[in-house]
Amino acid sequence: MNGAQHILEAFHHHNVQTVFGYPGGCIMPLYDALVDDVLVEHVLCRHEQGCALAADGYARASARLGVCIATSGPGATNLITGVANAHRDSVPMLVITGQVPSSLIGTDAFQETDVLGMTLGIVKHSYLVERAEELPGILEEAMELAQTGRPGPVWIDIPKDVLLADIAAVPSQPVTRSQTAAPDLGSAIALLRAAQKPLLYSGGGISLAHAEDSFREFAECSALPAVVTLKGIGNPGKHSAHNLGMLGMHGSRAANRAVDECDLLLVIGARLDDRATGKLNGFAPNARTIHIDTDAAEFNKLRTAELAIRGDLNAIFGVLTQAFRETPLAISDWRKECQTWRTTGGFQAADNEEPLAPITGPAFIRRLSHIAPDNTIIACDVGQHQMWVAQYYQFDHPRHHLTSGGLGTMGFGLPAAIGAQFANRATTVINVAGDGSFMMNAQELATIRRYNLPLKLIIMDNQCLGMVRQQQELFYNNRESQINLDDNPDFVAMARAFDIPALKIERTDQVRRGIETILAYNGPMLLHVAIAREENVWPIVKPGGSNREMIDEARRASADTKEIVA
Amino acid sequence: MSTERHPQTTPTYKITCRMIHEAAALERLCQVVRIRGFRIAKMAVETSVQNAEESLYIALTVQGVRPVAMLQSQLEKLHTVAEVILNTTALAPAVGRTA
Repeated sequence: MNGAQHILEAFHHHNVQTVFGYPGGCIMPLYDALVDDVLVEHVLCRHEQGCALAADGYARASARLGVCIATSGPGATNLITGVANAHRDSVPMLVITGQVPSSLIGTDAFQETDVLGMTLGIVKHSYLVERAEELPGILEEAMELAQTGRPGPVWIDIPKDVLLADIAAVPSQPVTRSQTAAPDLGSAIALLRAAQKPLLYSGGGISLAHAEDSFREFAECSALPAVVTLKGIGNPGKHSAHNLGMLGMHGSRAANRAVDECDLLLVIGARLDDRATGKLNGFAPNARTIHIDTDAAEFNKLRTAELAIRGDLNAIFGVLTQAFRETPLAISDWRKECQTWRTTGGFQAADNEEPLAPITGPAFIRRLSHIAPDNTIIACDVGQHQMWVAQYYQFDHPRHHLTSGGLGTMGFGLPAAIGAQFANRATTVINVAGDGSFMMNAQELATIRRYNLPLKLIIMDNQCLGMVRQQQELFYNNRESQINLDDNPDFVAMARAFDIPALKIERTDQVRRGIETILAYNGPMLLHVAIAREENVWPIVKPGGSNREMIDEARRASADTKEIVA
Repeated sequence: MSTERHPQTTPTYKITCRMIHEAAALERLCQVVRIRGFRIAKMAVETSVQNAEESLYIALTVQGVRPVAMLQSQLEKLHTVAEVILNTTALAPAVGRTA
């Protein structure tokens, strides 16, 4: 068995069934081994960035390991954005690249790049396999490392001679993951009982810890008013009576108000990102903080916590749920106050029922949310449409909402949707893109066609880079700079060139039928949605500003129009 | 974030660190120090072999205005870092240490 064949054996052992890749010179031994393999499905994307982002989407949607493969040099460098995206959002990923033969490393050989050095800052860990006999151990360690603790991408760079070298078959050791007991939560429970206005603040760490169910049980049992981060959307479920929605730059007034007023912030699986907190010294000014996370490095990084608790979230929620089931929190006045804000301070863009009226982003997403089946997975790109999805789509589970939170990678949505569809063959998967984002990985339309994936593609086309245009309008004296995309291709014709049927809508009375048509179609289909160029995402906190200074459409003219560099 | 431009007034810390000696080990360590807002003023490295595993013992003097505990926790997160001690006491010399 050579090194390449051993990699496939490791995939079999770890039940890796789907990988995303692109062949090339130094990874050819692995592709040669794939010819004889019947257990691993290799998905050929059309660009290595598409491979990495598809592996990311696969992992997010399935809670399994995403795997991507590329060759040395440009293959590896093309992976980088996708791997960085996974790193910033703590997505479990295994990255395998071929490298030039060991004897040629450091000689500026054809397609040689220093992958290990170049990727240090975007991986949880990385390896250059220097001796063939190290490969089995590295593979085992890498797959374990990517999926445990705070997950993340682990990159193995393998010289071609190692892929070709004979490696003795090494029986894999079964991995046993011990259950950890909950840490002492007495102080946390006491702080929560002492608080008059406690608020639950959850993020993407809930899913990373596979704690969605136990979180929801705790949230319902405690009946704490709750806010979520962008990546925490779906944590409380769409029927939660206590969820005030997303906080932060484009969060709801209700959520930001509750954070502003609370006296205790229970932060769980969130890292207090600047897009969520706004100006830090104006964030939750009256609150003490309990911070619960898997990663101790998040404690006190941006805000000092009165109590920092590291541990297994499932175990922690079990203890907290029991405590508050036995003796509920006495915070009825605070709950009522939050309910009032929830009623009046949610996302409130009005629907225009005039049939010939132009389509607005919020109204379209609201309608999509009503029509799409339960359990639909939405993979967003980055920009205004991403925020409208976050604001107006009713998600019932965080793994139904795939969004590039940390890195903000335009071009994420289409390949991520491909990955999600491979992970969930029978589930409706929709990519909601902007016209700018769509063009960043549009080559993956060929991947959709090749595998006949029943993906639904929605392009919300405002003929510009809308989020940049919006900030230029509001914070740069409306001095538009390089945001114009009015020479976009004909997206319908473009889809059809890939043998994907498509249609365009531009009026309110076409929305329902447009959505129903693509959802009913038995195969991939694209919906081109023309929306107004000047539409903005409301509310907005100016970058570097405090969340209590939200700007909405009514206040736009009076807003201080200078961006703040914190 | 850049470190302060006047190193003589910037807080200085001594950190000793033990990590597995593997490809890019030192680069990984230095990258974390830099991106977390510190600069290396002094660095001494020794290697040691114990139980067939080669370790690096690194004595760092770093300067930066951010809380050094944050740097310590980020260094501790590195998979190949076994120990990070923040003080002026170096790690105990290991048997078989080589220059």
